[in-house]
Amino acid sequence: MGDTTYLAADAKLPYCRGCGHALVVRQLSRALEGLALPARSIVLTTDIGCVGLADSLFPYVHTVHTTHGRSTAMAIGMALAEAVLPASGLKPIVMIGDGGAMIGLLHLVHAAQLNVDITVLVHNNFLFGMTGGQHSAFTPLDWCTSTTPEGNRVPPLDLLALLRAAHAGSLARQFATDGNLNAVIADAVAYPGFSLVEILEICTGYGGLMNKSKGAALHEVAGRQGYAIGQLEAKQPRPTFTQLYRHEIDSKTAPLLVEEGPGVVDPRVEAATHHPLPPPPTEEGSQLHRPKESRPTSLQHAGAADSRLKIQDSKPMHVVIAGAAGERVQSSAALLCRAALSAGLYTTQKNDNPVTQGSGFSLSEICLGPRPIQYTGMESADVVIAVSQEGWNELTTNGTLSALTPGSLLVLDSEIETESPTGRVVRQPFRRDATPKRAALAAIAFWLEKDPVIPNATWQSVVAALPVERRTDVSEALGIGSNLACQGGERAA
Amino acid sequence: MVAEGALAAGCRFFAGYPITPASEIYEVMMREQASRGGLALSAPDEISSLCYCVGASLRGLKAMTATSGPGWALMSETVQYALMSETPVVITLVQRLGPSTGGATHGAQGDIFLAEFCTSGGYTIPVFAPSNAAECYELTRQAFNWSERLRTPVVLLSDKEVGMTSEPVDEAALAKPAVVERTWGDAGASIAAYDIERVEDVPCFGPAGGEVKVTVTGSAHDRQGRLRKPSAEVVELLLHLQRKIEVHAADMAMVHADLDPEASCLLVSYGITARAARQAVGMLRKEGFPISFLQIQTLFPVPAEALHRAAAGIRTVFVAEENLTGQYRAVLAPLLNDRRLLGINKIGSMISPTEIVRAIRRAGGTIPRGDWPSERSSEAGVREPLGTRKAGV
Repeated sequence: MGDTTYLAADAKLPYCRGCGHALVVRQLSRALEGLALPARSIVLTTDIGCVGLADSLFPYVHTVHTTHGRSTAMAIGMALAEAVLPASGLKPIVMIGDGGAMIGLLHLVHAAQLNVDITVLVHNNFLFGMTGGQHSAFTPLDWCTSTTPEGNRVPPLDLLALLRAAHAGSLARQFATDGNLNAVIADAVAYPGFSLVEILEICTGYGGLMNKSKGAALHEVAGRQGYAIGQLEAKQPRPTFTQLYRHEIDSKTAPLLVEEGPGVVDPRVEAATHHPLPPPPTEEGSQLHRPKESRPTSLQHAGAADSRLKIQDSKPMHVVIAGAAGERVQSSAALLCRAALSAGLYTTQKNDNPVTQGSGFSLSEICLGPRPIQYTGMESADVVIAVSQEGWNELTTNGTLSALTPGSLLVLDSEIETESPTGRVVRQPFRRDATPKRAALAAIAFWLEKDPVIPNATWQSVVAALPVERRTDVSEALGIGSNLACQGGERAA
Repeated sequence: MVAEGALAAGCRFFAGYPITPASEIYEVMMREQASRGGLALSAPDEISSLCYCVGASLRGLKAMTATSGPGWALMSETVQYALMSETPVVITLVQRLGPSTGGATHGAQGDIFLAEFCTSGGYTIPVFAPSNAAECYELTRQAFNWSERLRTPVVLLSDKEVGMTSEPVDEAALAKPAVVERTWGDAGASIAAYDIERVEDVPCFGPAGGEVKVTVTGSAHDRQGRLRKPSAEVVELLLHLQRKIEVHAADMAMVHADLDPEASCLLVSYGITARAARQAVGMLRKEGFPISFLQIQTLFPVPAEALHRAAAGIRTVFVAEENLTGQYRAVLAPLLNDRRLLGINKIGSMISPTEIVRAIRRAGGTIPRGDWPSERSSEAGVREPLGTRKAGV
């Protein structure tokens, strides 16, 4: 029962006498009957307002009554789900008024861009009916409403022109009174992609009374706005976003798709986490937080008992690395964290840079400790590594330098101009000898040679885990830093 | 780890919009979903993001979006729709410094009220607050489980410092609660709507597009999902929205309690500040002062039983949180009205363990002042005055 029955035969329509909405629901029902679609293949998605009363008139199709203007957006979500679910041919049909089309305009634009397989019926009666006849963005010039009692002075949006610019596939405009409205709606529903029919009506409760207009005046009003009537756009169908995405899923999952059982982690995630280290960094900024956000990183405790480890008490060591954007400061800091991780230490890394990302300073704050790090901030840095003037200046601005203690170690590039900071200062020509992009790594290696917090051997596993094309670069940078330290070129500032 | 937790929980739909500090979850989902058999896409605004998720959930998919305060503000209408229409969905809210655009790259815990009290009617939205990367994974899985089980929106309340700090995770030690699915209706039923036997029951779910006719609405409705003015039946269904959460409050309660039977004061915290608080507790105990500690992961529904257990025999309760007015302290206040309730609050940067220790000391009375080392003239890292406020002030 009800397989191809739509509008209930005994439906008592809840609309005002003469309201176009009654015509639309009847024509919609006729259109669906003509298409002979199973009722369960339709989701009638209704908006707020008189137009939203249609749900209860269609007892056999799925109905979703939504919020103001969002019917289109929820229909988009339902259509997109088809990319993940077994194909069902479900067709969301959105019933929305001109007010809903105004507040939800962006959803209509995005639906057209995505080309999701939904049909939108915009009931444009030029005003908000249920709330008392207020005007909308689609109210014609000079049209009287409760909020434009002397006539609307703002030209109406041409919805179809707008959606044409958004690449909509099928667009039509009809009067609610048109006898062929059912055929136009049927064409829209049958169109395999985004389709929209703007249906012009007069609200008998407000528009008709306030403008002393009857249905016949509708043609004259539409003519004055320059509205063309009929099928205005019928493009050759293009693939829907849902189809494109399903193809992407198929191509990426074909050999791998594994069903998950309760409490079982996707085996591919498990497999990935068995790597001792996360994927190595590629470019500045691109991998800054991936150890955390992508794959859980296994902890390696092999080096925890290494006698060379300097961090023996439970207090974390705080390291700040500062330089210029684009010079691999943060990715070098991430390598340091990986080396520390391999040595059995716990680490946290926080990065900072100006909002523009690609200019000015680049900075990482690192905590290293033999126990899990609780507080990830630092009250005073134990080690400051600065390899460019921009980085140094930021350390001045953000208060790092003023919080230093006499025991703090500062490893600075020779080119940096400084006042006399608190702490022990060591200067080396990292930028000159290692190049600016490798200066941070060279400075890290220099520091660790002087102050072996992390055993040298752990760097070998870090380098080995890098892509082949990066290994030489990283090894050279580390070597330059170590050599500078071994040359004993330390001098006080 | 939020993204990994979501994927492990069976999340197969994600819609996002860029916003610091939640963009990384969006990026990971965009990168990972297709290869895990799910869909992730960019929405043109946050309203659309959550609406797309709700639409996908109505078809039976587990769905999530991620945002920060400004985006969450745009979502509140749709959060309420999900609540009223009983549509499961998870929203990760990564807090940043407000109000308005505020400080996009600065952490904060200022969205407690915004997250919990965004509904007309004040319905309980379950809110889980992780304090580190591992908890992000675990609590995201819990968020999905409870969202599906109760057919309601659930918020994972993270913040910039939790969400954008890299730290190692012992994958083998992660808690992996069994994945819970929503209860699907009988295929032979004639209609899937809001029919329940007891007021606290969760109605069976039927997907839009399935064999059983589905009626969904965000308006006040009867058991058939028909829009109705408030009748006894309609009001009972409104009550049901709250009762179905309340009856599971004890099951949902997740805390880490580190209690000292000798303690006369209790430090309560959550999210990023719980880490500094735990460290502060260690510092105080090292000095020989007994103190109990309670990290709350389930902010809402408030874990009242756990709080009462932790506060038994306690005279003074401190609540440390990174907001100006003590939002969660205000929530706890009615439960602790016979105790001295003090806030440790700050905005602009994380509260440090030293600041917590100093604030507890400054509160006086609880800890003998003379037993503390003298204050240093300049304390590193303190860039904002730290205030202690009495509850209700």
